[in-house]
Parts: sequence; structure tokens; C-alpha cells
Amino acid sequence: MSRRSLPIDALDRTVAALSDDALAEARHAALAQFKKRGFPTTRNENWKYTDLSKVIELSRRSLQTSTDAERPDIDRIRELQASIDAGWLVIANGKLNRDLSTTLDEDGIEVSPLRLDSKDLRLEDPLADLNLALLKQGLSLRIAANRSTDRPIALLIVDSAGTAPVLSQVRIDIELQANAEIRFIEYHVSAGDDEHYSNAHINVIARPNARADYLRFQDRALHHSQTARLNVQLETDSEISYCGIDLGGRLTRNDLKIDILGQGASAIFDGLYIAAEGQHVDNHTRVDHRVGPAVSAQEYRGILNGHCRAIWNGKAIVHAGADGTDAQQANHNLLLSEHAEIDAKPELEIYADEVKCAHGTTVGQLDEQALFYLRSRGLDRDRAKRVLTRAFATSIVNKSPIPELHDLIGNAVEQRLRELATGVPQ
Amino acid sequence: MSTDPENIEDLVNRRYEHGFVTDIDTESLPPGLDEDVIRAISMRKNEPEFMLEWRLQAYRQWLEMIEPEWAHVHYPPIDYNAISYFSAPKSDKDRPKSLDEVDPKLLETYDKLGIPLHERARLAGVAVDAVFDSVSVATTFKEKLSEAGVIFCSFSEAVNKHPELVKKYLGSVVPRRDNYFASLNSAVFSDGSFVYVPKGVRCPMELSTYFRINAANTGQFERTLIVADEGSYVSYLEGCTAPMRDENQLHAAVVELVAMKDAEIKYSTVQNWYPGDENGVGGIYNFVTKRGDCRGANSKISWTQVETGSAITWKYPSCILRGDNSTGEFYSVAVVNNYQQADTGTKMIHIGRNTSSTIVSKGISAGNAQNAYRGLVRVMPQANGARNHTQCDSLLIGKSCGAHTFPYMEIKNPSAKVEHEATTSKISADQLFYCRQRGISEEDAVNMIVNGFCKEVFNELPMEFAVEAQALLNVSLEGAVG
Repeated sequence: MSRRSLPIDALDRTVAALSDDALAEARHAALAQFKKRGFPTTRNENWKYTDLSKVIELSRRSLQTSTDAERPDIDRIRELQASIDAGWLVIANGKLNRDLSTTLDEDGIEVSPLRLDSKDLRLEDPLADLNLALLKQGLSLRIAANRSTDRPIALLIVDSAGTAPVLSQVRIDIELQANAEIRFIEYHVSAGDDEHYSNAHINVIARPNARADYLRFQDRALHHSQTARLNVQLETDSEISYCGIDLGGRLTRNDLKIDILGQGASAIFDGLYIAAEGQHVDNHTRVDHRVGPAVSAQEYRGILNGHCRAIWNGKAIVHAGADGTDAQQANHNLLLSEHAEIDAKPELEIYADEVKCAHGTTVGQLDEQALFYLRSRGLDRDRAKRVLTRAFATSIVNKSPIPELHDLIGNAVEQRLRELATGVPQ
Repeated sequence: MSTDPENIEDLVNRRYEHGFVTDIDTESLPPGLDEDVIRAISMRKNEPEFMLEWRLQAYRQWLEMIEPEWAHVHYPPIDYNAISYFSAPKSDKDRPKSLDEVDPKLLETYDKLGIPLHERARLAGVAVDAVFDSVSVATTFKEKLSEAGVIFCSFSEAVNKHPELVKKYLGSVVPRRDNYFASLNSAVFSDGSFVYVPKGVRCPMELSTYFRINAANTGQFERTLIVADEGSYVSYLEGCTAPMRDENQLHAAVVELVAMKDAEIKYSTVQNWYPGDENGVGGIYNFVTKRGDCRGANSKISWTQVETGSAITWKYPSCILRGDNSTGEFYSVAVVNNYQQADTGTKMIHIGRNTSSTIVSKGISAGNAQNAYRGLVRVMPQANGARNHTQCDSLLIGKSCGAHTFPYMEIKNPSAKVEHEATTSKISADQLFYCRQRGISEEDAVNMIVNGFCKEVFNELPMEFAVEAQALLNVSLEGAVG
């Protein structure tokens, strides 16, 4: 058995044990594909800097023990639910927990189990194969045409492993019908002492003139890892405003893929990643401008300290005929330790001439002049550094789409930065 | 836009001016590649044993390697056994002592190029080591150079006369098994230039080689090695142009630069190989490995290139910044038209302390051409105080061309400052209108804008090259806006 694959018999057994529902056919097709392809390796350009061998090992142990050791921290969830005014969908280790979830009918949102025809199986990467093959339950959300709700919808993804490592799959398909408006919060929490690996796949389709605000906040435990894919399709005049914040996790890999299918669409997406000792965080974004005029803009910022590594790979593809495209990419990194590494790759592929595309990437330290300014006003060096580092991070937090969460996230970011500063000598 | 379509078509369809074949008998090896071919090449060049052994090892390594596919270019598979690996002008045995003795047909070739060898040499004060196909046939100004102690000769000559230097430096920057094409070159390289500038010497003139591919079906495998010893300076000019033909020709050159402590090497290229016709038929495959090693402290290597030719360009002139305070520079203009494809850029590897690098890349795409910048900036953990600034801009002319950017940044040191900026745009209607309104013709306006776009790079070229580069740009692009 190769280091890159999972034991076939355990895979077969796990898939066979899943219920014989509307997903059964799709699962088997995906399983066959996964057996062929296996996990991606660092020889694959998209995975050049991220080695999955640790999560493969974890998955292998999880399949072999196949315990369903779910240990959600109910008190913490209740507390969180009390602090954020939202409609809740709680997904614990890949399954909808109805007790902790709220009904979303009044928000004009229809929640149903995911159904997939075999014709829907256009899987783009092996992790999507794995996701579907082992998917216990998928969700389908439909936001009715012309509905708009003030109350955000929170997808609370709770990962827990008690006595054995757990591998869980999340799959949610969201459709915003014409003129619908919705605000999402994707919130990750983890519990339990053992290792956990979450492999998530979320699809968003925005029909004409629909609008989605999407905030993803991830502050998992350091023995939890994730690979997550968010695919967004934007039809005419639809918009998405996205912000992804990664503070925790041992290995975090986010794939954000945005397909611009209609004129006048707009995709604004930002990200913040903070990594310290032992963390690996990889953000891959890809925007396909298939028609124009349309706008995409992204800004990712990272702060690294200790033995850690961050990767940012932003790709914008302007297809032939997508005239009037405006695509902007920015990535800025603060490297605070000699053991940290950042690998940045802003890519542009342009096949049309009526376009405005630009990217800028920087890697560096805090501005000495700014430090001097603060020190001349009486702040000591450490304090001045903290102020500037926080300001660097806050510019992303303050741009994030759900304003009522700015305080909560800002505090979490500040807490993380404090740990970062004290944990490792600079 | 107020463009006259006929006029533009006329300009876009302008044929390659240097398309002709000089009718000189060549003594070529039959197509095919095996160890016997390599032995034959080595024997014909009267090489010492170590050189043959080096070639054979490279060949054996090449056999185990796989052709790279990652570049953003497409071409039909190359049949390496359909290529003839050696071709030398007949007059090889009696090398001419002066230009008067050079085969008149050869001189005629240079005349057709508009740059007569003796004229160029006399007027520009440039020593020319003319590479006609695979063997150097004329070397001038050698005496003046030898007075200064500078060795400037063909590679074959260097192998025989200065084996100790060749042994010491050959493959020390681009190892035999560096990559597929470099490995192939190491096995079969025909000839090239060798430069050694001794300690403390500032080379009294700019050194130049004129490359030209001639015999049909002959791959050209140049090997250039330039060593600048402590405290020395040399500026090297490489220019090339090739005759028109329909079959693709493979050109896999290797250039190695070594700069010791306080030394500086400036390497400038104007590349105008045959790009193929307007339907993308023919043209040169230019798969080149160029790398400079800033081995000593305070050394500097600067690459400047103007790439207008070749059907496919695969080329990443790089700098290994090993010495403390060393500097690497890369200035590039890459122009593609019709069905040309270019995947070019640089690598800056920061190893020493306080090393700095600058990358300025200007890509211009027209017609159905694809132009990609691919670059790597790597800062190693020990490279305290490393500094890089990269700027890569693309200009698109026409609806069907492409401009791509693939910059890699791998930063492992917290004191590094690395910046990358890229923009993509077209010549705007506003800019054109502004010029037209002031009585400048559309063609001149485009010319002016494109030249302005490339100015930062042209400023880095030696004088005589800057003139040629602008002329080349005009031929390649003038009026291609649409």
C-alpha cells in the first residue's frame, strides 16, 4: 500500500456501512475515482508546498478504528449561540445536529438532504472524491427568490474526537435564487483530545442579482487539521463578499474557487491567517473570469511566528472574450521569526485585452519608521510592535462582511497575537 | 478606435527580414544521437579525454531524464533522433587569420543582416567572436584583449588551451544534470564562447558574439562560460538572428557566469531567432539555461534581454547570490506576435547576507501569441537583510493573445524585504487619442507608447544594442494595435 493511499478494504467497508440513501450511487462512483487518484502529492503544482502525509496517516488510523467518538462541547456551543444573533445549522462531525440547530423557515431558507445524480459528479480534485465517497450526510440550502434576511445564518461546524482520531466530511450546497440576499457565518469549533481531520466541500450558486456575505472563522485546536473547498458560481449581477480568517489548526488548506459566469458580477474576498509554532496554513484562490465586465478583488494578509509555514497562491484567469474584467490581487505578510516560511505566488493568466489586472505581494517586517513614531510617543518597543501588528491584522477584520461580529473576531485575533508574541522569542 | 485595418494588417503581416539561407557546404553528422555521435563530436573537435568523459556522463544522465512539461507552452513532441548534432562550415580546417580570409559568402550573410562584421567591429570597438553554425570562424581584437590578460576565445579553443580553467568552472553553475535541456547540451554542445577576466582587470571593450543558425535540421547547442575573477568587470553582448525555414529547429544553449569577489558581469542579449511564419509554422525552439553565480562578496551579475524571436522561448536567466552583499539584476523585454510562445523570467536565490536583487520584466503580446513571466525569488534562512523588488508588466495588443504571470516567492528569513508588483493593460484609446490629437500618426504613437513601456529595460542595454533593440521592436510590433 502506498503512503499516498488509504487501505482499500477499510475504505470499502466504511462506504458500505453508510446508509443506502440518495447518495449511494454517487458515493461509489467517487470511491472508484478516489481509489484511482489517491491523495494529491507535492509533485502536483497545486500541492507543491503542502504535504498531506500526516492527515493521510490520521485518516488511515481513523478508518481502521472507525469509532464514532463524537464529543461536542455543548456548553460552549450554547454560549456561542447566545452571543450571536443568528439562525443556526450545527454540523457535528459531518452530520446535522437537529437539537442544536434552529429552524430557518422564517428566513425563507429551505434545508433538505443533499441529492446528487451521477451527472453531478464533476469532481475536480481527489479530496472532493474522498469527501463524497465518505459523506454521511450532505445538506442542500435554498434561499427563495427575492428573499432577504437581516439575521445571518450561522453554519457551525463542530469537530471532535474523543478517544481515537476522527475523519469527517462536510458537504453543503447553497443556492441563492434570483434577487435573494443572505449573510452567512461559517464558524468552526473543535473539541476532544484526539486528532481530527475535517474535509469540507461547500458550493454556492448565486443566481442573477443575488448577493451573499460570507464570513468564515476558523479557530480550531492545534491537533485538528482541515482541507476545505468553497466553490462559488456567480451569475449576472450577483455578488459575493467573503472573508476567511484562520487562527488555529495544525494543517489548514483552503481552496476558494470563484467562477464568474454572468456580466456585472462582483467577487470581493479577503483573508487573514495567523500561524505560530507547528502550524501550516495554505490558502489557494482561483477566480475564473469567463465573461465581462465583472470585478474581482482579493486581499490576504498573514502574520507568522515560530516554526510555521504559510502559503498563499492567488490565481486569476481572464478567459478569451471576458472584456471589461477588473481583477486585483494583494497579499502582504509579516514574518516575525527566522523559522517561519512564506511561499507566495500571485498568478495571472490573461486571454483578453480589454482588462485591468494587477497584483502586489510583499513580505517583510514592521515599518521601522512607524515603530519609531510610536516609541517617540512613549510606547515601549514591544507595545509599539503589538500595536502595529494588530493594526496590520485589523484592516482585514474591519473589512469583513458581517459587522456585528467584528468585535468578537477582533478579540480572538488579539488574543492569538498575544499568544504569538509571548510564545516565541523574536 | 480610429485604426485603419488595412494598414495594420500590412504591418502585422510584415515578413521576417532576415529570412534567407546561405549556401555554404556544411560537414554535418547524420541525424541521430548515441554515444558514438558524442565520440565523433569530441573527436572532430580534438578534445582531451576529460571533455569526452564529461559529455558521455551527461548523455547517460540525460537518457534517464524526462522532458519538462510545466512551462506554459505547447509544441509537438521533439524527435531527438531526427536532429543532426554537428555541423561545421567547410573552411574549418584552415581557420582564417583575418577577416579577409573569411569565406566571402559568410561575410555576405552578415551584410544581409545589415551589420557587417568588420564595420561593426571597427565602429563599435567590439571584439566579435562570430559563431557561424557551430564553429567559430573569426575572432578579432584578440591581441588587444590578451594585452589586458583577458581570455576570449571559442569554447573548443579554451578546452585545448586552457583545460585547467574549463575543468575548474565548466558545470559548476549549471551542473550536467541540472535539467533536461542543459543535460542534452552538456552531452552534445558544439561550440560557444569562453571568457576569463583575471583579477583586477576591467575588460577594455565590450565582448560580443554573433550567433547564427544556418544548416537545415541542425540543432544549435551553444555553451558559454564567463569567469570574472576578483575585482574584474566584463560586459558581454549576445545577439542572434536566423534564416527562414519551415522545420522547427531546436536550440538548447547553456550559459554559465561566475563572478568572484568584487567582480561584475553584465550580460546583454538581443534574441531574434526566426519566430515561424504568420500561421505558426516553423521557427526556433529556444530552450536555454542561463545562470550566474555571484560566488564572492560584493559581486554583481546583471542580465538584460530583449526577446523578440523564436517560436518558443523557454529561458530563465538566474542569479545565485552566494556572496555577502552580492547583487543580481534581471531586465527583460519579451515580445511575441503571431503564434509565438514565450515562458521566460528569472530566479534569484538569496543565500549570502545583505544580498539584493531587482527584476524588471516587460511582456508584450500581439496576434495569437502567449507570453508568460515565470520567476522565483527564494530567500534562504541565513540570508539576513535580503532585498528584492520585482516588477512585471504586460501589454496586450489584440483580442487573441495572452499574458500570464507566475511568480514564486519562497521566503525563509524574517529580515527579508520582498516586493512584487504586476500589472496588465492594453494601449488605451485615451493614450492613442492624445498622441493623434497632437499630429502623431497612429503607428508612431503605438511605437512611442511601446518604447516608453520598455524604456526601463532599454536603458540597461549597451548603446549599440539599444538601437538594435528598438529597431527590432518596431519590426515586430509597429501598428499591431487593433
